Amino acid sequence: MSLLLPALLLFLLANLFAGLWRVHRGPTAADRMLSALLIGSTSVAAVLVLAEWQQLPALRVASLLVVMLAAVISIAYAAIAQASAGSPGAPDAEAAER
Amino acid sequence: MNLAVDLSIAAGLVVLAWRSLAGRDLFRGIVMYIVFGLLLAVTWARLGSPDLAMAEAAIGAGVTGALLMVAYWRLRRISPAEPADPSPRRSHLAAAVALLSTGVVAAIGLAAVGAIGPGGIAGRALVEALPATGLGNPITGVLVVFRNLDTVLEVAVLLAAYLAVRAVLGDRGETLAQPPPQVARLVGALVGVVAPLSVLVAVYLLRVGSYLPGGAFQAGAVLAACGVLLLLTGRLRATADAGPWVRGSLVVGTVVFGLFGVAMLAFGEPLLAIPGTWAVYLIETAMMVSIAVTLMLLFAGAAGLGGGRR
Amino acid sequence: MTAVELLATGMLVVGAAFYLAGTIGLLRFPDALSRLHALTKADNVGLLLVCAGLGLLSGNLREAALLLLIWLLALLAATISAHLIARRALADGVEVEMRERVPR
Repeated sequence: MSLLLPALLLFLLANLFAGLWRVHRGPTAADRMLSALLIGSTSVAAVLVLAEWQQLPALRVASLLVVMLAAVISIAYAAIAQASAGSPGAPDAEAAER
Repeated sequence: MNLAVDLSIAAGLVVLAWRSLAGRDLFRGIVMYIVFGLLLAVTWARLGSPDLAMAEAAIGAGVTGALLMVAYWRLRRISPAEPADPSPRRSHLAAAVALLSTGVVAAIGLAAVGAIGPGGIAGRALVEALPATGLGNPITGVLVVFRNLDTVLEVAVLLAAYLAVRAVLGDRGETLAQPPPQVARLVGALVGVVAPLSVLVAVYLLRVGSYLPGGAFQAGAVLAACGVLLLLTGRLRATADAGPWVRGSLVVGTVVFGLFGVAMLAFGEPLLAIPGTWAVYLIETAMMVSIAVTLMLLFAGAAGLGGGRR
Repeated sequence: MTAVELLATGMLVVGAAFYLAGTIGLLRFPDALSRLHALTKADNVGLLLVCAGLGLLSGNLREAALLLLIWLLALLAATISAHLIARRALADGVEVEMRERVPR
Protein backbone atom coordinates (compact mmCIF):
# COMPACT_ATOMS: atom_id res chain seq x y z
CA MET A 1 0.00 0.00 0.00
CA SER A 2 2.72 2.43 0.94
CA LEU A 3 4.43 1.54 -2.31
CA LEU A 4 1.41 2.16 -4.50
CA LEU A 5 1.48 5.94 -4.60
CA PRO A 6 5.19 6.41 -5.35
CA ALA A 7 4.98 3.64 -7.95
CA LEU A 8 2.01 5.38 -9.55
CA LEU A 9 3.92 8.66 -9.50
CA LEU A 10 6.90 7.03 -11.18
CA PHE A 11 4.58 5.56 -13.81
CA LEU A 12 2.98 8.95 -14.48
CA LEU A 13 6.43 10.51 -14.81
CA ALA A 14 7.35 7.83 -17.34
CA ASN A 15 4.25 8.76 -19.35
CA LEU A 16 5.24 12.39 -19.12
CA PHE A 17 8.70 11.71 -20.51
CA ALA A 18 7.22 9.57 -23.28
CA GLY A 19 5.12 12.57 -24.25
CA LEU A 20 8.34 14.55 -24.49
CA TRP A 21 9.44 12.36 -27.36
CA ARG A 22 6.43 13.46 -29.35
CA VAL A 23 7.19 17.09 -28.55
CA HIS A 24 10.66 16.50 -29.90
CA ARG A 25 9.56 14.61 -33.00
CA GLY A 26 6.57 16.67 -34.05
CA PRO A 27 6.39 16.78 -36.96
CA THR A 28 3.71 19.45 -36.87
CA ALA A 29 3.07 22.16 -34.31
CA ALA A 30 -0.28 20.51 -33.55
CA ASP A 31 1.57 17.36 -32.50
CA ARG A 32 3.71 19.34 -30.11
CA MET A 33 0.74 21.13 -28.63
CA LEU A 34 -1.25 17.96 -28.09
CA SER A 35 1.74 16.39 -26.38
CA ALA A 36 1.82 19.42 -24.12
CA LEU A 37 -1.84 18.69 -23.41
CA LEU A 38 -0.97 15.15 -22.37
CA ILE A 39 1.87 16.35 -20.21
CA GLY A 40 -0.42 18.89 -18.54
CA SER A 41 -2.98 16.23 -17.70
CA THR A 42 -0.29 13.89 -16.42
CA SER A 43 1.21 16.66 -14.28
CA VAL A 44 -2.17 17.29 -12.71
CA ALA A 45 -2.46 13.61 -11.84
CA ALA A 46 1.11 13.58 -10.52
CA VAL A 47 0.54 16.57 -8.24
CA LEU A 48 -2.69 15.00 -6.96
CA VAL A 49 -0.82 11.79 -6.17
CA LEU A 50 1.82 13.84 -4.38
CA ALA A 51 -0.90 15.59 -2.40
CA GLU A 52 -2.12 12.27 -1.08
CA TRP A 53 1.29 10.64 -0.66
CA GLN A 54 2.82 13.54 1.23
CA GLN A 55 -0.42 14.51 2.97
CA LEU A 56 -0.34 18.10 1.70
CA PRO A 57 -3.92 19.09 0.84
CA ALA A 58 -2.79 22.46 -0.48
CA LEU A 59 -1.25 20.69 -3.46
CA ARG A 60 -4.76 19.92 -4.70
CA VAL A 61 -5.28 23.65 -5.03
CA ALA A 62 -2.08 23.77 -7.08
CA SER A 63 -3.55 21.10 -9.36
CA LEU A 64 -6.69 23.15 -9.64
CA LEU A 65 -4.62 26.07 -10.86
CA VAL A 66 -2.87 23.99 -13.50
CA VAL A 67 -6.10 22.60 -14.84
CA MET A 68 -7.91 25.92 -14.76
CA LEU A 69 -5.22 27.70 -16.72
CA ALA A 70 -3.84 25.02 -19.04
CA ALA A 71 -6.31 25.84 -21.78
CA VAL A 72 -4.86 29.35 -21.99
CA ILE A 73 -1.80 27.95 -23.74
CA SER A 74 -3.94 26.16 -26.32
CA ILE A 75 -5.89 29.33 -26.93
CA ALA A 76 -2.67 31.30 -27.36
CA TYR A 77 -1.45 28.70 -29.83
CA ALA A 78 -4.70 28.83 -31.77
CA ALA A 79 -4.49 32.62 -31.88
CA ILE A 80 -0.97 32.77 -33.30
CA ALA A 81 -1.52 29.85 -35.66
CA GLN A 82 -4.64 31.50 -37.02
CA ALA A 83 -2.85 34.81 -37.41
CA SER A 84 0.03 33.35 -39.34
CA ALA A 85 -1.51 30.50 -41.33
CA GLY A 86 0.78 29.80 -44.23
CA SER A 87 2.97 32.81 -43.65
CA PRO A 88 6.56 32.63 -42.41
CA GLY A 89 5.34 33.29 -38.90
CA ALA A 90 3.54 29.98 -38.63
CA PRO A 91 4.94 27.65 -35.98
CA ASP A 92 5.31 24.95 -38.61
CA ALA A 93 7.23 27.08 -41.04
CA GLU A 94 10.57 26.48 -39.44
CA ALA A 95 10.16 22.76 -39.47
CA ALA A 96 8.87 22.83 -43.03
CA GLU A 97 11.83 24.79 -44.29
CA ARG A 98 14.30 22.24 -43.07
CA MET B 1 11.33 4.07 -4.79
CA ASN B 2 11.58 7.59 -3.41
CA LEU B 3 15.04 7.89 -4.90
CA ALA B 4 13.80 6.67 -8.27
CA VAL B 5 11.08 9.31 -8.28
CA ASP B 6 13.46 12.10 -7.31
CA LEU B 7 16.13 11.06 -9.78
CA SER B 8 13.57 10.89 -12.58
CA ILE B 9 12.30 14.36 -11.84
CA ALA B 10 15.82 15.76 -11.60
CA ALA B 11 16.89 14.09 -14.84
CA GLY B 12 13.72 15.31 -16.53
CA LEU B 13 14.39 18.89 -15.48
CA VAL B 14 17.93 18.81 -16.83
CA VAL B 15 16.86 17.24 -20.12
CA LEU B 16 14.02 19.72 -20.56
CA ALA B 17 16.24 22.68 -19.79
CA TRP B 18 18.73 21.42 -22.36
CA ARG B 19 16.12 20.75 -25.04
CA SER B 20 14.48 24.13 -24.51
CA LEU B 21 17.67 25.89 -25.48
CA ALA B 22 19.28 23.47 -27.90
CA GLY B 23 18.03 22.75 -31.37
CA ARG B 24 17.10 25.14 -34.10
CA ASP B 25 13.31 24.95 -33.92
CA LEU B 26 12.28 27.87 -31.75
CA PHE B 27 8.65 26.81 -31.42
CA ARG B 28 9.68 23.37 -30.23
CA GLY B 29 11.93 25.02 -27.66
CA ILE B 30 8.99 27.07 -26.42
CA VAL B 31 6.82 23.99 -25.96
CA MET B 32 9.72 22.30 -24.18
CA TYR B 33 9.98 25.30 -21.89
CA ILE B 34 6.27 25.16 -21.09
CA VAL B 35 6.66 21.49 -20.21
CA PHE B 36 9.65 22.45 -18.10
CA GLY B 37 7.42 24.80 -16.16
CA LEU B 38 4.90 22.02 -15.57
CA LEU B 39 7.59 19.62 -14.37
CA LEU B 40 8.92 22.38 -12.14
CA ALA B 41 5.51 22.66 -10.52
CA VAL B 42 5.65 18.91 -9.91
CA THR B 43 9.12 19.40 -8.41
CA TRP B 44 7.91 22.00 -5.95
CA ALA B 45 5.08 19.66 -5.04
CA ARG B 46 7.56 16.84 -4.47
CA LEU B 47 9.67 19.11 -2.29
CA GLY B 48 6.64 19.76 -0.13
CA SER B 49 6.20 23.41 -1.05
CA PRO B 50 2.60 24.10 -2.07
CA ASP B 51 3.10 27.88 -2.18
CA LEU B 52 5.77 27.56 -4.84
CA ALA B 53 3.85 24.87 -6.71
CA MET B 54 0.82 27.16 -6.90
CA ALA B 55 2.87 30.13 -8.05
CA GLU B 56 4.65 28.05 -10.67
CA ALA B 57 1.37 26.58 -11.88
CA ALA B 58 -0.33 29.93 -12.25
CA ILE B 59 2.59 31.75 -13.83
CA GLY B 60 4.07 28.88 -15.85
CA ALA B 61 0.83 27.46 -17.17
CA GLY B 62 -1.13 30.65 -17.50
CA VAL B 63 1.11 33.58 -18.17
CA THR B 64 4.57 32.54 -19.38
CA GLY B 65 3.36 29.95 -21.88
CA ALA B 66 1.01 32.35 -23.59
CA LEU B 67 3.60 35.13 -23.38
CA LEU B 68 6.23 33.06 -25.17
CA MET B 69 3.77 31.99 -27.86
CA VAL B 70 2.77 35.53 -28.65
CA ALA B 71 6.37 36.73 -28.45
CA TYR B 72 7.34 34.01 -30.94
CA TRP B 73 4.61 35.18 -33.30
CA ARG B 74 5.68 38.81 -33.04
CA LEU B 75 9.30 37.82 -33.61
CA ARG B 76 8.45 35.88 -36.75
CA ARG B 77 6.43 38.77 -38.09
CA ILE B 78 9.46 40.97 -37.82
CA SER B 79 12.06 38.54 -39.07
CA PRO B 80 10.71 35.50 -40.92
CA ALA B 81 12.63 32.32 -40.37
CA GLU B 82 15.75 32.11 -42.42
CA PRO B 83 16.91 28.99 -44.24
CA ALA B 84 18.44 26.53 -41.83
CA ASP B 85 21.95 27.41 -40.73
CA PRO B 86 24.51 24.69 -40.45
CA SER B 87 25.00 23.51 -36.88
CA PRO B 88 26.44 26.25 -34.72
CA ARG B 89 30.19 25.87 -34.26
CA ARG B 90 31.17 24.07 -31.14
CA SER B 91 32.81 26.43 -28.75
CA HIS B 92 35.47 25.20 -26.37
CA LEU B 93 34.74 28.11 -24.07
CA ALA B 94 31.09 27.08 -23.86
CA ALA B 95 32.05 23.55 -22.92
CA ALA B 96 34.41 24.80 -20.24
CA VAL B 97 31.78 27.12 -18.78
CA ALA B 98 29.22 24.32 -18.80
CA LEU B 99 31.54 22.02 -16.90
CA LEU B 100 32.38 24.76 -14.44
CA SER B 101 28.71 25.59 -13.80
CA THR B 102 27.85 21.94 -13.33
CA GLY B 103 30.71 21.60 -10.88
CA VAL B 104 29.63 24.65 -8.89
CA VAL B 105 26.00 23.52 -8.72
CA ALA B 106 27.03 20.01 -7.73
CA ALA B 107 29.32 21.35 -5.03
CA ILE B 108 26.58 23.57 -3.63
CA GLY B 109 24.13 20.68 -3.75
CA LEU B 110 26.46 18.32 -1.92
CA ALA B 111 27.25 20.95 0.69
CA ALA B 112 23.54 21.64 1.23
CA VAL B 113 22.72 17.97 1.58
CA GLY B 114 25.48 17.54 4.13
CA ALA B 115 24.61 20.69 6.03
CA ILE B 116 21.02 19.94 7.02
CA GLY B 117 20.95 20.71 10.71
CA PRO B 118 18.31 21.54 13.30
CA GLY B 119 16.56 24.51 11.74
CA GLY B 120 19.12 27.17 12.33
CA ILE B 121 18.91 30.41 14.26
CA ALA B 122 16.71 32.43 11.93
CA GLY B 123 14.28 29.57 11.50
CA ARG B 124 13.82 29.12 15.22
CA ALA B 125 13.40 32.83 15.79
CA LEU B 126 10.77 32.87 13.07
CA VAL B 127 8.82 30.01 14.60
CA GLU B 128 8.84 31.76 17.96
CA ALA B 129 7.87 35.15 16.61
CA LEU B 130 5.18 33.97 14.21
CA PRO B 131 2.23 33.57 16.61
CA ALA B 132 2.61 37.17 17.76
CA THR B 133 1.83 38.38 14.26
CA GLY B 134 -1.47 36.51 14.16
CA LEU B 135 -0.38 34.65 11.06
CA GLY B 136 -0.22 30.90 10.66
CA ASN B 137 1.65 30.69 7.37
CA PRO B 138 5.39 31.19 7.92
CA ILE B 139 5.95 32.10 4.28
CA THR B 140 3.48 34.94 4.45
CA GLY B 141 5.06 35.94 7.72
CA VAL B 142 8.47 36.23 6.15
CA LEU B 143 7.20 37.96 3.02
CA VAL B 144 4.99 40.57 4.60
CA VAL B 145 6.32 41.04 8.11
CA PHE B 146 9.83 39.81 8.81
CA ARG B 147 11.61 40.37 5.52
CA ASN B 148 9.13 42.71 3.93
CA LEU B 149 11.80 45.06 2.60
CA ASP B 150 12.48 42.48 -0.09
CA THR B 151 8.81 42.23 -0.95
CA VAL B 152 8.30 45.98 -1.19
CA LEU B 153 11.22 46.22 -3.55
CA GLU B 154 9.96 43.28 -5.58
CA VAL B 155 6.62 44.98 -6.16
CA ALA B 156 8.51 48.13 -7.08
CA VAL B 157 10.56 46.10 -9.55
CA LEU B 158 7.37 44.96 -11.24
CA LEU B 159 6.35 48.58 -11.59
CA ALA B 160 9.78 49.34 -13.03
CA ALA B 161 9.34 46.54 -15.57
CA TYR B 162 6.09 48.09 -16.71
CA LEU B 163 7.79 51.46 -17.05
CA ALA B 164 10.50 49.82 -19.14
CA VAL B 165 7.81 48.48 -21.50
CA ARG B 166 6.33 51.95 -21.73
CA ALA B 167 9.76 53.31 -22.56
CA VAL B 168 10.18 50.80 -25.36
CA LEU B 169 6.71 51.49 -26.76
CA GLY B 170 7.52 55.17 -26.76
CA ASP B 171 5.10 57.92 -27.63
CA ARG B 172 3.82 56.34 -30.81
CA GLY B 173 0.44 55.75 -29.26
CA GLU B 174 0.28 52.13 -30.29
CA THR B 175 0.53 48.75 -28.67
CA LEU B 176 2.54 45.79 -29.81
CA ALA B 177 0.86 43.66 -32.45
CA GLN B 178 -1.93 41.59 -30.94
CA PRO B 179 -2.98 38.18 -32.19
CA PRO B 180 -6.61 37.93 -33.34
CA PRO B 181 -9.08 37.36 -30.51
CA GLN B 182 -10.43 33.85 -30.27
CA VAL B 183 -14.18 34.15 -30.21
CA ALA B 184 -15.39 30.62 -30.97
CA ARG B 185 -18.37 29.52 -28.91
CA LEU B 186 -16.49 26.78 -27.11
CA VAL B 187 -13.86 29.27 -26.06
CA GLY B 188 -16.63 31.50 -24.76
CA ALA B 189 -17.83 28.62 -22.63
CA LEU B 190 -14.37 28.24 -21.17
CA VAL B 191 -14.15 31.93 -20.35
CA GLY B 192 -17.58 31.78 -18.73
CA VAL B 193 -16.39 29.07 -16.38
CA VAL B 194 -12.74 29.94 -15.81
CA ALA B 195 -12.98 33.70 -15.36
CA PRO B 196 -15.38 33.74 -12.39
CA LEU B 197 -13.68 30.69 -10.93
CA SER B 198 -10.30 32.43 -11.16
CA VAL B 199 -11.60 35.40 -9.23
CA LEU B 200 -13.04 33.09 -6.61
CA VAL B 201 -9.80 31.13 -6.31
CA ALA B 202 -7.74 34.32 -6.15
CA VAL B 203 -9.82 35.74 -3.34
CA TYR B 204 -9.65 32.37 -1.59
CA LEU B 205 -5.86 32.29 -1.88
CA LEU B 206 -5.63 35.82 -0.56
CA ARG B 207 -7.87 35.03 2.37
CA VAL B 208 -6.26 31.77 3.45
CA GLY B 209 -2.75 32.96 2.66
CA SER B 210 -2.32 34.12 6.22
CA TYR B 211 -2.62 30.62 7.65
CA LEU B 212 -2.51 28.16 4.73
CA PRO B 213 -0.41 28.04 1.57
CA GLY B 214 -1.40 30.90 -0.65
CA GLY B 215 -0.99 34.64 -0.52
CA ALA B 216 -0.72 37.74 -2.65
CA PHE B 217 1.68 36.40 -5.28
CA GLN B 218 -0.34 33.30 -6.01
CA ALA B 219 -3.59 35.24 -6.06
CA GLY B 220 -2.10 37.89 -8.31
CA ALA B 221 -0.71 35.28 -10.67
CA VAL B 222 -4.11 33.58 -10.94
CA LEU B 223 -5.79 36.89 -11.75
CA ALA B 224 -3.05 37.66 -14.26
CA ALA B 225 -3.61 34.34 -16.02
CA CYS B 226 -7.33 35.06 -16.09
CA GLY B 227 -6.53 38.45 -17.56
CA VAL B 228 -4.38 36.81 -20.21
CA LEU B 229 -7.34 34.61 -21.07
CA LEU B 230 -9.60 37.64 -21.36
CA LEU B 231 -7.06 39.41 -23.56
CA LEU B 232 -6.68 36.42 -25.86
CA THR B 233 -10.43 36.05 -26.26
CA GLY B 234 -11.25 39.66 -26.91
CA ARG B 235 -13.02 40.39 -23.63
CA LEU B 236 -10.24 42.80 -22.79
CA ARG B 237 -8.33 44.91 -25.23
CA ALA B 238 -4.81 46.29 -25.15
CA THR B 239 -4.85 50.06 -25.45
CA ALA B 240 -2.13 52.57 -26.06
CA ASP B 241 -3.09 54.74 -23.12
CA ALA B 242 -3.38 53.83 -19.50
CA GLY B 243 -6.61 55.00 -17.94
CA PRO B 244 -6.83 56.07 -14.30
CA TRP B 245 -7.92 52.64 -13.08
CA VAL B 246 -4.94 50.99 -14.72
CA ARG B 247 -2.54 53.57 -13.39
CA GLY B 248 -4.00 53.25 -9.94
CA SER B 249 -3.79 49.47 -9.99
CA LEU B 250 -0.18 49.52 -11.11
CA VAL B 251 1.03 51.63 -8.21
CA VAL B 252 -1.35 50.65 -5.44
CA GLY B 253 0.81 47.74 -4.29
CA THR B 254 4.00 49.71 -3.92
CA VAL B 255 2.21 52.74 -2.52
CA VAL B 256 0.18 50.94 0.12
CA PHE B 257 3.12 48.87 1.26
CA GLY B 258 5.41 51.88 1.29
CA LEU B 259 2.87 54.06 3.09
CA PHE B 260 2.45 51.52 5.84
CA GLY B 261 6.17 51.21 6.19
CA VAL B 262 6.73 54.93 6.44
CA ALA B 263 3.63 55.69 8.48
CA MET B 264 4.75 53.43 11.24
CA LEU B 265 7.77 55.68 11.73
CA ALA B 266 5.40 58.37 12.92
CA PHE B 267 4.28 56.08 15.71
CA GLY B 268 7.78 55.41 16.84
CA GLU B 269 7.92 51.92 15.35
CA PRO B 270 10.80 50.83 13.14
CA LEU B 271 10.52 51.24 9.38
CA LEU B 272 8.16 48.75 7.73
CA ALA B 273 6.76 47.46 11.01
CA ILE B 274 3.31 46.02 10.41
CA PRO B 275 0.64 47.01 12.95
CA GLY B 276 -1.55 43.94 12.74
CA THR B 277 -3.14 41.21 10.69
CA TRP B 278 -5.61 43.69 9.20
CA ALA B 279 -2.63 45.55 7.75
CA VAL B 280 -1.33 42.30 6.27
CA TYR B 281 -4.64 41.72 4.46
CA LEU B 282 -4.71 45.27 3.15
CA ILE B 283 -1.15 45.12 1.90
CA GLU B 284 -1.66 41.73 0.32
CA THR B 285 -4.80 42.85 -1.48
CA ALA B 286 -3.01 45.87 -2.87
CA MET B 287 -0.07 43.72 -3.95
CA MET B 288 -2.38 41.20 -5.62
CA VAL B 289 -3.98 43.92 -7.72
CA SER B 290 -0.64 45.38 -8.76
CA ILE B 291 0.87 42.02 -9.61
CA ALA B 292 -2.15 41.00 -11.67
CA VAL B 293 -2.41 44.20 -13.68
CA THR B 294 1.34 44.49 -14.26
CA LEU B 295 1.63 40.92 -15.52
CA MET B 296 -1.34 41.42 -17.82
CA LEU B 297 0.19 44.54 -19.31
CA LEU B 298 3.57 42.87 -19.69
CA PHE B 299 1.85 40.08 -21.60
CA ALA B 300 -0.05 42.44 -23.84
CA GLY B 301 2.90 44.72 -24.45
CA ALA B 302 0.57 47.65 -24.03
CA ALA B 303 0.22 50.71 -21.90
CA GLY B 304 -3.33 50.08 -20.75
CA LEU B 305 -6.42 47.93 -20.92
CA GLY B 306 -9.86 48.57 -22.23
CA GLY B 307 -13.17 46.80 -22.63
CA GLY B 308 -13.45 44.30 -25.44
CA ARG B 309 -16.08 43.61 -28.07
CA ARG B 310 -18.37 41.59 -25.88
CA MET C 1 -5.98 -3.71 3.38
CA THR C 2 -9.51 -2.53 3.85
CA ALA C 3 -12.19 -2.78 1.22
CA VAL C 4 -11.96 0.94 0.53
CA GLU C 5 -8.21 0.74 0.05
CA LEU C 6 -8.64 -2.25 -2.22
CA LEU C 7 -11.18 -0.45 -4.37
CA ALA C 8 -9.03 2.67 -4.50
CA THR C 9 -5.99 0.64 -5.51
CA GLY C 10 -7.98 -1.00 -8.28
CA MET C 11 -9.16 2.36 -9.56
CA LEU C 12 -5.65 3.80 -9.50
CA VAL C 13 -4.23 0.82 -11.38
CA VAL C 14 -6.92 0.94 -14.07
CA GLY C 15 -6.49 4.69 -14.31
CA ALA C 16 -2.77 4.19 -14.87
CA ALA C 17 -3.60 1.69 -17.60
CA PHE C 18 -5.73 4.29 -19.34
CA TYR C 19 -2.89 6.78 -19.16
CA LEU C 20 -0.65 4.16 -20.71
CA ALA C 21 -3.17 3.65 -23.50
CA GLY C 22 -3.21 7.38 -24.17
CA THR C 23 0.56 7.54 -24.30
CA ILE C 24 0.80 4.59 -26.64
CA GLY C 25 -1.73 6.27 -28.89
CA LEU C 26 0.33 9.44 -28.78
CA LEU C 27 3.47 7.66 -29.84
CA ARG C 28 2.14 5.13 -32.32
CA PHE C 29 -0.78 6.63 -34.18
CA PRO C 30 -0.06 7.98 -37.63
CA ASP C 31 -1.26 11.56 -37.57
CA ALA C 32 -2.13 14.43 -35.31
CA LEU C 33 -5.89 13.96 -35.35
CA SER C 34 -5.88 10.31 -34.36
CA ARG C 35 -3.33 11.03 -31.66
CA LEU C 36 -5.54 13.80 -30.32
CA HIS C 37 -8.54 11.50 -30.34
CA ALA C 38 -6.79 8.72 -28.43
CA LEU C 39 -5.15 11.10 -26.04
CA THR C 40 -8.09 13.14 -24.84
CA LYS C 41 -10.42 10.21 -24.38
CA ALA C 42 -7.95 7.97 -22.60
CA ASP C 43 -6.52 10.73 -20.43
CA ASN C 44 -9.89 12.01 -19.29
CA VAL C 45 -11.02 8.57 -18.15
CA GLY C 46 -7.61 7.94 -16.63
CA LEU C 47 -7.81 11.17 -14.66
CA LEU C 48 -11.34 10.31 -13.55
CA LEU C 49 -10.18 6.97 -12.14
CA VAL C 50 -7.11 8.50 -10.52
CA CYS C 51 -9.21 11.24 -8.92
CA ALA C 52 -11.80 8.71 -7.76
CA GLY C 53 -9.12 6.46 -6.29
CA LEU C 54 -7.40 9.35 -4.55
CA GLY C 55 -10.73 10.64 -3.31
CA LEU C 56 -11.43 7.28 -1.70
CA LEU C 57 -7.98 7.24 -0.14
CA SER C 58 -8.36 10.70 1.28
CA GLY C 59 -11.51 9.64 3.14
CA ASN C 60 -12.65 13.25 3.26
CA LEU C 61 -15.75 14.50 1.45
CA ARG C 62 -14.42 18.01 0.97
CA GLU C 63 -11.22 16.81 -0.65
CA ALA C 64 -13.13 14.39 -2.84
CA ALA C 65 -15.38 17.23 -3.98
CA LEU C 66 -12.31 19.28 -4.87
CA LEU C 67 -11.00 16.32 -6.87
CA LEU C 68 -14.29 16.12 -8.73
CA LEU C 69 -14.09 19.82 -9.55
CA ILE C 70 -10.54 19.34 -10.81
CA TRP C 71 -11.65 16.52 -13.09
CA LEU C 72 -14.57 18.53 -14.48
CA LEU C 73 -12.27 21.43 -15.24
CA ALA C 74 -9.79 19.04 -16.86
CA LEU C 75 -12.63 17.80 -19.03
CA LEU C 76 -13.50 21.32 -20.05
CA ALA C 77 -9.90 22.29 -20.72
CA ALA C 78 -9.18 19.12 -22.69
CA THR C 79 -12.32 19.54 -24.78
CA ILE C 80 -11.55 23.08 -25.77
CA SER C 81 -7.85 22.47 -26.26
CA ALA C 82 -8.51 19.42 -28.44
CA HIS C 83 -11.07 21.35 -30.46
CA LEU C 84 -8.70 24.23 -31.08
CA ILE C 85 -5.70 22.05 -31.89
CA ALA C 86 -7.73 19.85 -34.22
CA ARG C 87 -9.09 22.89 -36.05
CA ARG C 88 -5.56 24.15 -36.59
CA ALA C 89 -4.38 20.73 -37.70
CA LEU C 90 -7.19 20.44 -40.26
CA ALA C 91 -6.67 23.97 -41.49
CA ASP C 92 -2.99 23.23 -41.97
CA GLY C 93 -3.87 20.26 -44.13
CA VAL C 94 -2.99 17.35 -41.93
CA GLU C 95 -3.36 14.08 -43.78
CA VAL C 96 -6.41 12.29 -42.48
CA GLU C 97 -6.60 8.54 -42.95
CA MET C 98 -10.31 8.40 -43.59
CA ARG C 99 -10.81 11.81 -45.04
CA GLU C 100 -14.26 11.17 -46.48
CA ARG C 101 -15.71 10.64 -43.01
CA VAL C 102 -14.55 13.94 -41.57
CA PRO C 103 -17.33 16.53 -41.62
CA ARG C 104 -16.18 19.86 -42.97
